[in-house]
Amino acid sequence: MGITKERLIHCLSEIAKNEQKGKKINAFLHLRDEKEVLKEAEEIDKKIKSGKAGKLAGKIISVKSNINVRGMIASCASKTLENYKASYDATVIEKIKKEDGLIIGMTNMDEFACGWSGETSAFGPTRNPVQTDLVAGGSSSGSAASVALGFCDLSLGSDTGGSIRVPSSHCGVVGIKPSYASVSRYGLIDMCMSLDQIGPLASNVKDAALLLSLIYGRDEKDSISQKGKIRISEVQKIPKKLKVGILDFPVSDKRIQGLVDEKVKETSEKYGWDIGKVKIPLLDLAIATYYPIVYVEFFSATRRFDGRRYGNKIDEVAGPEVLRRIMGGSEISKAEYGGRYYNRALKVRELLQEEFSKVFKDFDCVICPTVPKLPHKIGSQITSEEMFQYDSLTCPINIVGNCAISIPAGKIDGVPLGMQIICDKFQDEKMLQIANAFEKSLNSA
Amino acid sequence: MTDFLFHSLSEKEKEGVKKEAKKIIDSFSEKLLKVKIPKDEPVIKRKDFEREEGNGTETDEVLKELILENAPNKNKDFIIAEKKKWE
Repeated sequence: MGITKERLIHCLSEIAKNEQKGKKINAFLHLRDEKEVLKEAEEIDKKIKSGKAGKLAGKIISVKSNINVRGMIASCASKTLENYKASYDATVIEKIKKEDGLIIGMTNMDEFACGWSGETSAFGPTRNPVQTDLVAGGSSSGSAASVALGFCDLSLGSDTGGSIRVPSSHCGVVGIKPSYASVSRYGLIDMCMSLDQIGPLASNVKDAALLLSLIYGRDEKDSISQKGKIRISEVQKIPKKLKVGILDFPVSDKRIQGLVDEKVKETSEKYGWDIGKVKIPLLDLAIATYYPIVYVEFFSATRRFDGRRYGNKIDEVAGPEVLRRIMGGSEISKAEYGGRYYNRALKVRELLQEEFSKVFKDFDCVICPTVPKLPHKIGSQITSEEMFQYDSLTCPINIVGNCAISIPAGKIDGVPLGMQIICDKFQDEKMLQIANAFEKSLNSA
Repeated sequence: MTDFLFHSLSEKEKEGVKKEAKKIIDSFSEKLLKVKIPKDEPVIKRKDFEREEGNGTETDEVLKELILENAPNKNKDFIIAEKKKWE
């Protein structure tokens, strides 16, 4: 049996075992027809045998349900698009298919990517693979959980304020938010177009880097996308000289900051890197800057879901978090003539960008916990302010357009915790190199 | 305090969500208004007035079939969107 088919059968059996337990994790919303996918695996294996296979041959891939895969249901985990069949492939999907990656299914997520925990899906929450009473993190909840449980090798998610990195942290996998405009967004059902970015999730940096290298770069269908390249051979090298910044940000759970500080110190000593503290004065305004932009752009993006050409009218069937954002965006749009909401947020965004630019003149990377809190129990009563904390260290990176990666740093109370490595815009290759060095050091400890 | 699990909303609950959204954006706006903005220039800046359009791609019959499959109301070759029905 060929390696693709063998790997696929293994993944399908892991999924089936989980289904028998009553959809315990709820990572997938739509799986491909088994016969069809097995046939495709055989075709890829024939190509491997003849030496003509692409770089993703043998890899099983899941895709977040807001990315169009022709013929698959792109529901965005919403009743609005419950039966919506994608009519074309997103550019990232075209690239995956060209490299013989095998797509297995569409993953669960927060409804229209509006969420932090994976709980807002209209088809039930995704459970944390490590402790099933806890949230998996969102919004790419099913992508992270499917990788963590070995249902697939790789996944594609989208990240607007932390939606790849937050679930990666809670599920113990690697997740990348590439630099804004470095990966085509064509075929992504947008949540907030000036912040959205498609990125990979994997169980290790090498696999995540491979997928990113193949989807990276200019696409004429996404007019803001830029030329760029990631060299896998460079990612494997350990940087000799490096100035690592530790972000000075108040994290109330001291164990979280303590774990990250310990790992940075251990690794930096091992490689002879310098460490310094980094203060970004406007960082505590990131959430206040982020949400007005998200509310307005999401409100605008959802006006096409009117139920005429496809699906159901979003305002009639969406859940509370989606409606909160639509109504918030509508209110801002009505009151914006004074420029006190969206326009003000865009101006503060520029100031934040200036502050980040200054930091990266002195430091190669900045490191902090991916999430400043541990995941809560599914269905817990919490305030919006508490929920906003999930994104407090990830959304600033989307606001400024830089790249960031979350890698597993360890566990607290048995729950995985991610460490976020942030680099300057279009320094994705350098970021992967640093992450790879950390991963090697942490695994050998 | 609330739970964030998906559920369908009554008209009364929708009103509550609207009030909450307004409260959230006002609290953010108050914070942002305290920031001193050093220069008051337009936030939209363009290097090039026109974007590169590229060559585009051709569509096929499968695309048309899938689009019509998704439509709630259709005839053989087109989508029916009755006047005022969606308002």
